[in-house]
Amino acid sequence: MTQSELFIQLLINGVTLGSYLALIALGYTMVYGIIELINFAHGDVYMLGFMISLTFLGFLGVRGTLGGWQLWVVIFGVMLVTMLCTGLINMTIDRIAYKPLRRAPRLAPLITAVGMSFMLENLGMIWKGPSQILYPDIFPAFDIPNGLFGLNTMVLFTTKDVFLMGVTIPLMVVLTLFIRRTKMGKAMRATAQDREAAALMGINVENVIRTTFFIGGALAGAAGMMVGLYLNTGRYLMGFDAGLLAFTSAVLGGIGNVTGAMLGGYVIGFLNAISDQYLSPEWTRAIVFTTLILVLVFKPSGLLGERTPEKS
Amino acid sequence: MNAFRVLSLVALVSLFFVLAACAAPTAAPTQAPPTAAPAATQPPAAAKVIKLYASWPMQGSMIPEGTAMLNAAKMALDEANSQVAGYTLQLVFLDDASPTTGSWDGTVEANNAQKAIADEQALVYFGTYNSGAAKISMPLTNKAGMAQITPANSYPGLTKKGYAAGEPDIYRPSGKVNYFRTFGADDFQGASGAAWAKCLGFKKVYILDDRQLYGKGIADVFEKKAKEIGLEVAAHEGIESVNIDFRALLTKVKASGADVVYFGGLVDSGGPQILQQMDSQGLFKAGVKMLSDDAMYTDAVPAAVKPEIINGNLLVTFASPALDQLPTDVGKNFYKNYKAKYNADPIGWSIYSYNAMLVILDSIKRAAPKLDAATNVTAKRAAVLDAMRATKDLPGVSGNITFDENGDPTTYLMSGFLFKDGKYVWQKNISGDMKCQ
Amino acid sequence: MRQIWQSITAPWRALPARQRTIITGGIAILLLLVFPAVDKSMKWQTLNDVTDVLVLVILALGLNIVVGYAGLLDLGYAAFFAIGAYTTGILTWPPHGLEFNFWIVIWAAVIVAALCGIVIGTPTLRLRGDYLAIVTLAFGEIVPIVMRNLGNQTLSIGPWRLMENFNLTNGVQGLNPVGRPWIGSFEFGFDPTPWYYLILLIAAFVIFANVRLQDSRLGRAWMALREDETAADCMGVDPIKTKLLAFALGASFSGFSGAFYAAKLQAIFPELFKFNLSIMILCMVILGGMGNIKGVVIGGMLIQLFDRVLLTQTTLIARGVGQTLHIAQLATVDLSLWRWFFFGLAMVIIMVLKPEGLFPSAARRAELHAAEESKTAETIG
Repeated sequence: MTQSELFIQLLINGVTLGSYLALIALGYTMVYGIIELINFAHGDVYMLGFMISLTFLGFLGVRGTLGGWQLWVVIFGVMLVTMLCTGLINMTIDRIAYKPLRRAPRLAPLITAVGMSFMLENLGMIWKGPSQILYPDIFPAFDIPNGLFGLNTMVLFTTKDVFLMGVTIPLMVVLTLFIRRTKMGKAMRATAQDREAAALMGINVENVIRTTFFIGGALAGAAGMMVGLYLNTGRYLMGFDAGLLAFTSAVLGGIGNVTGAMLGGYVIGFLNAISDQYLSPEWTRAIVFTTLILVLVFKPSGLLGERTPEKS
Repeated sequence: MNAFRVLSLVALVSLFFVLAACAAPTAAPTQAPPTAAPAATQPPAAAKVIKLYASWPMQGSMIPEGTAMLNAAKMALDEANSQVAGYTLQLVFLDDASPTTGSWDGTVEANNAQKAIADEQALVYFGTYNSGAAKISMPLTNKAGMAQITPANSYPGLTKKGYAAGEPDIYRPSGKVNYFRTFGADDFQGASGAAWAKCLGFKKVYILDDRQLYGKGIADVFEKKAKEIGLEVAAHEGIESVNIDFRALLTKVKASGADVVYFGGLVDSGGPQILQQMDSQGLFKAGVKMLSDDAMYTDAVPAAVKPEIINGNLLVTFASPALDQLPTDVGKNFYKNYKAKYNADPIGWSIYSYNAMLVILDSIKRAAPKLDAATNVTAKRAAVLDAMRATKDLPGVSGNITFDENGDPTTYLMSGFLFKDGKYVWQKNISGDMKCQ
Repeated sequence: MRQIWQSITAPWRALPARQRTIITGGIAILLLLVFPAVDKSMKWQTLNDVTDVLVLVILALGLNIVVGYAGLLDLGYAAFFAIGAYTTGILTWPPHGLEFNFWIVIWAAVIVAALCGIVIGTPTLRLRGDYLAIVTLAFGEIVPIVMRNLGNQTLSIGPWRLMENFNLTNGVQGLNPVGRPWIGSFEFGFDPTPWYYLILLIAAFVIFANVRLQDSRLGRAWMALREDETAADCMGVDPIKTKLLAFALGASFSGFSGAFYAAKLQAIFPELFKFNLSIMILCMVILGGMGNIKGVVIGGMLIQLFDRVLLTQTTLIARGVGQTLHIAQLATVDLSLWRWFFFGLAMVIIMVLKPEGLFPSAARRAELHAAEESKTAETIG
């Protein structure tokens, strides 16, 4: 493998990792934008998305690689159901743990969020066991540069990578359009700006919050399923790990800012790939978290942040 | 004034704590899950009872392994009817996993060892599973002059010089050897793995470890041996075991041109994930194999990855022949009886746990005359300890057991396995100084 | 019944309040002091467990200053505990050739932990509370990684070798042995009794410091900041400096705990200081009632009691019930697998239903229920 091939591979690794991180980061940033709460349990909703989709695939009896129309029907059918489930789970979390504390000091819902996260993690462990979980390899992997273009290169870029980006990026585009163009999106932006004023204007704030949680949860569920299809492996702790990375992405991009979260996801994805590649994987987490601290300290508004966190 | 009130509350609550702890019949058996609870057999004659304290984790992901070890030990005890030379043996099992974290914990291990030492009927401490835990209990049992025997600790520094400063003397404050293992240290296994890799014709190895005591220890030995025998080491790196995405790392492996990846680590630390992604990243297709340690010699691996992808691609080293092909009569009976009794296949640790119990029984038998004459607990412990130190040619599951002056087994069997057709297939006996045919 | 009780207790209640507290306090101290002897004679063998619980209670009291008094959520408190323990280990591990006296090292551990608190606190304390929580969480994740990796590092920039095989923490093998305390020629050994008295002494000191801090000028400043930062700022309380003091003090108490823990265990490993430990301590603080010494002490002990005794006992009971009623699921249940579920549940329930904790202090209760009171006031008005 030449240096340039290595670099291209690094870009591919970074983009794919960034894609699903961005999808999770969106959930953090949207909830934060509206009720200024770090939904600590969000990463675990992503983990549940992985497990729920795995269970549905089990119901359908899918084991091996699929092809043709079956593939798309199964994938999109299961993904829709999973997104619905995780969306509802996220709404329920809000109902149980955050809604009663809307007027409480800010730390109270953060503590319940941590509590919720531990509960979900434990449920995941009981449900699918503490070890690594095998996810069926449904999507066919076809080596594009070698197979399609006949290039003799060590760079690995398969249909799976295309599929991962082909699902995550449109989802993000749809979300952006939803927030920019629809009435609900407008209501969400209004609530994010000033909750009380929005309520005075006749916006049903609770409804907006519920929708936000639903969308965030659905995106996390989609991310969980995509990771399953892409990496074919997962674990009950994956939510905690990816959650921290995604949260870092959200903060890096400017928390509360939807475009920022996506940008942050890709930056963290690259940072991970670069550190794994040129430094050592044993330091990667330390580097990512140091980045998080540095961003929070020196530029708390993030790369694209509009709101300044110091203003409460 | 307020301080007084607080102090009084401290006292009350701690009293409550104590009472609640004592409300349980005895602390020991209740701490283990009920699979282990019947471990202590009913004491018939109180006078001639010897207690064996066992300590290893029995929580979370350790339950299958912990139970298999305990089952084997209980089976050896049952086969002797819990009677040796007129003494009734009782196995008291203590869990050394912390309730807080679910994995082994130094504080709990220290407490377990101290419980054993404080019990005047306890003559042998049986454990631990984790080498880190042994580091804590060894000095305690050593000072008390109590024999300690482990079925699983593999960190070489516990008995040998040259691994970390001061080892192993820091574990032996009394200066005497009181710690024995039926399981050979990692220096055997790591070195055998490297020698085997060389014989298999691999040229360049990429070493990964999970940054834990066991995984890093064995990978370090592997690296040292590989360099000695001229197997090129592309790199040695630690992985983050909670990670599930190892693609960037495997890209590096691919770029390095290594033809084998050595993974030192536990099965929970990402080994199966790496296998999975070695396949999807095309490393297996390019002829790269994975060589790993005994922790990966488990059915958990084919359960966590598609067996087809690792067929012919995963090699493991393991400290025994295949369990259904044990060479000795003891071994054949062990396999048959274990299967009949527990309706499950024994695992690797079961052998060493069974062996350890055989050693204990044998030592007590040989120490019996001295035990009868002994008047106090110190003399009794010394009698058993001396007998255990003198263990020689005791027929065990995979061969005769003899301890060297460090407490390590003198003979040590190491096999190489290849994962083929959905299961691990025995390949050959291996060792650090093996000659390639 | 009640009357009989009252007539029995009448002389007691007739005593002046001051005398009553002195008597109860005296009895309590006496009980605590004779506890090791009772434990030994009754063969309970609980002294080690009680000592371990006290270590955690001291940690909870330290975190109480940060979370309870100053209202700063610290999700990485175990990091300071680790720093205290590692300072002790590094300064006494024989291969480093330092082998300082424990009585010096324990103060070094306190100072290093406090310094780390200041270093991490200075830039981050001006952030809002939830950001601070995340920074501390990240810090708590970084510290064990650094401890684990600083076993054998070679760092080079181009041709310059900055560090070669630099070994500070002995990596995954951890530091072993750690120096023990001595008093004269008496060495703290494997007998838990002297350790018990030492931790009792530290606990008394920490509780005393907590009590004194609570009503001091600083304590009132913390409370003012917690309740309304802007107002406190206007009244002349320097928010950054005051918060930083809380952070440093909280960290220093965990330094005490860490030093004691390392010396008693004789060994420390990076795995001992994970995120779960931080959450466990936080749970102890929340359960009893944030900002309230009595609550934290009792809450901490209750959680430990639940964790060490009740969980296993309940498992056995549940299995017994399952076996007699032939419910297969119940007969094989292992409640200890659900441990973190229960902790999470406790955090949610307490925060939602009784945010002031089980044993609230008056001021805290008033603060946390202010919203409801104003709501009732609105409906009445």
